Amino acid sequence: MKNSLQPTLRERLARLDQMPSIPVALLPLLRSLEQPLDRLEMQEIVDLILQDGSLAAQCLHLVNSPLFGQWQTVDSIRGAVALLGMQRMRDIAVSCSVLKLMPNNSADFDPVVFWEHSLACALVCRHFAQRVGFSDPRKAYLSGLLHDIGIVAHLWIEPKGFQAALRLARTEGLPLHQAEQTVLGQTHCETGKIVAVRWRLNPDLAAVVGCHHEPASTDTHRGLVAIVSLSDLLCRMNGLGYGYVEQQQVSFAEEPCLAFLVKEYPSLKIFDWARFTFEVEAYLEEVQRVVALTYSIAR
Amino acid sequence: MAQKTGSPVAAAIAGASGARPGPELIQLRELIYQTTGIFQPNLKLHLLADACSSRMQALDLPTLGRYYEFLTAPTSGHAELSALLNRITVGETCFFRNQPQLDALCNVVLPRIVRARQPMPKRHLRIWSAGCSTGEEPYTLSLLLLEELTGRLQGWTFEIFATDINENSIAHAVQGVYGCQTTQNLSSDFRDRYFTTNEDRLQINGDLKACVQFSRLNLLDEASVAQLKDLDLILCCNVLIYFGGTSKRRVVQHFYENLLPHGYLFLGHSESLYGVSKDFQLVHLPSAIAYVKSENKSLMAPMEL
Repeated sequence: MKNSLQPTLRERLARLDQMPSIPVALLPLLRSLEQPLDRLEMQEIVDLILQDGSLAAQCLHLVNSPLFGQWQTVDSIRGAVALLGMQRMRDIAVSCSVLKLMPNNSADFDPVVFWEHSLACALVCRHFAQRVGFSDPRKAYLSGLLHDIGIVAHLWIEPKGFQAALRLARTEGLPLHQAEQTVLGQTHCETGKIVAVRWRLNPDLAAVVGCHHEPASTDTHRGLVAIVSLSDLLCRMNGLGYGYVEQQQVSFAEEPCLAFLVKEYPSLKIFDWARFTFEVEAYLEEVQRVVALTYSIAR
Repeated sequence: MAQKTGSPVAAAIAGASGARPGPELIQLRELIYQTTGIFQPNLKLHLLADACSSRMQALDLPTLGRYYEFLTAPTSGHAELSALLNRITVGETCFFRNQPQLDALCNVVLPRIVRARQPMPKRHLRIWSAGCSTGEEPYTLSLLLLEELTGRLQGWTFEIFATDINENSIAHAVQGVYGCQTTQNLSSDFRDRYFTTNEDRLQINGDLKACVQFSRLNLLDEASVAQLKDLDLILCCNVLIYFGGTSKRRVVQHFYENLLPHGYLFLGHSESLYGVSKDFQLVHLPSAIAYVKSENKSLMAPMEL
C-alpha cells in the first residue's frame, strides 16, 4: 500500500491542491493576535466575529463555560468582549474558527473528536505554560489549538488513506502519527508544516505544527514545542485523543523533551504530575460538554 | 447579566464577589491534598464546598474559616478529616467501580507483567487488594482474571489476597452476598455466569470465591504485612488517605518491599503519592495512573503489542 500510494500522495500533499481556503474570520484573527494590544479596537474584534453568525453563536457558548473563567452569563459578543477582554475573546473566536476547517463529510472521523482534542490541548497547554512559568501562555493556547492542522489537510486531500491510517491506529492501539507514517508515508506533522507555510503562520506556530511528535527535531522554539508535545500526550492518555485508546504506558518524568524543559524551568524537576493530571481531568469533562453544546449549532 | 444558578451552597461558599471559588476553599483543598493526597480540581470544587457545608451544619460552625480551624486543631482535626473524606470519596464501594483503571490493568499492565514474568519458572500471578472493604474489588479482579484465562492468561494461575482492618467487612466479603446497588455495573452476562440470584440478592459463585483469600489485617502491623511477599500487583484504593504522614510512608515502604521488581501499585481515583515516596514513580496508562518501582527503567520502554 505504501509504495503505490506514496509518490502521488506526497505530491498532492505537497501542493495541498484540495485544501480549502482558510475560513474567513480565522486569518484576520490570527493576524490580529500578533498586534500589540494598544493598536486593537474593540469594535474590530466584535465586527470580525459578527461577520459569521454561527461563529458568533458558538463563541457565546464557549464564553459561558467555566473553562474560560466565566461564572456569569453573557448574551452578546460586545458584552463578552467587555467582560473578558479582547485577548480572551480572540482566543475563543480562533477556537471556534478551527472547527470550520473540517470538511463536511469526513467519513469515519468525527469532527467533534478532533475539536475536543484541539480545544482540550489548547487549554492544557495554557495551564501547563502558566504552571512552569512560560512567558506567553496565550501563545501556548493558540499552539495547542492549531497543532494538528495537518490532520485537517489529510482529511481534505487523502480521506481514504487517512481513514486507513486511523483504522490501523484504532485496531492496534497505536499513536496516530505512527499509523500515518505506515499507511500514508508521512505524518500529520510533515503535512501540517506545508499548511503552516501556505497560511504564513508565525515560525513558532509552524515549529509546533511540524515537530510536536518529534520535539527534538526542532532547533527553534523548543520550549513551546515541548509544552505542546507533553500537553498533547497528556490529553491522549486522558481519553481526549482521536476517539480511540492508545494502549501504552507513559512516564512523563522520562519523556525526552522534559529534560530540555527542566533546564529552562527547574521547578519541573519536582513537578507534581499526578496533581496536574487531576486538574486536567476536570477540564476535559467540561470540554466534552461545551463542545457538544457548541457543535449542535449549524456550522 | 444573570448569575449562573449553581448549587446554592456552593454559591454561598464562593468568594465575596459570588464569582470565583473563595480563598478559604482553596486553602482547604490544599490542606486535604497535603495530608491525604486527594485532589479536588477547580471545576469540581463545588463537591468539596457541598461536603464542607454539610459538615459545618452538623458541627454548627458558621464559616469556612472556623471549619478550617476545627480541621487543623490537634484535638478534633484527625477525626473530622476522616468524616470529611467519607463525604468526598463516596464511601460506598461497588463492582467495576473504576472501569478505566480496570481496562488499563487488563490491556496494558497485564501484558507487561506477563512479559516480565517470562523468565520465571512459575506462570502464576499474586495480587493484593489492600483495604478490600466488603469484597467488591477483589471479586471484580477475580472475575476479570478468570475471563483472561481463556485469552492473555492462558496457562496461568493466580491468587488474590484481600485484606481489611474491619472484621465485619471481611465477614460480609466471605459471605459474598450483594444487593442491587453495588452490583449495578455488572453486565447481565457476568451476572448470569458468576452469580446466583436469590430474591433481590446476588450470591457469588464458588469459582469466583475460590480465587480470593480474605483475612483481617492492619496495614501498620508489620509482621503480618511482611508475609505478603512477591506480589505482581497491589490495589489500595482510598485507604492511604486515612493515614497520617509517618504511618502512610511506612505502609508505602512495605508495599515497595512486597512488590516484585516489575510490580504495579494502583491507588484510588484522584489519589496521589506525591511527596510520600521516592521509591515509586508515577506512570500514565489510558485514563488511569499507577505507580511502578522508580529504579525499574525497563518498564518504561515501549512494548510491541
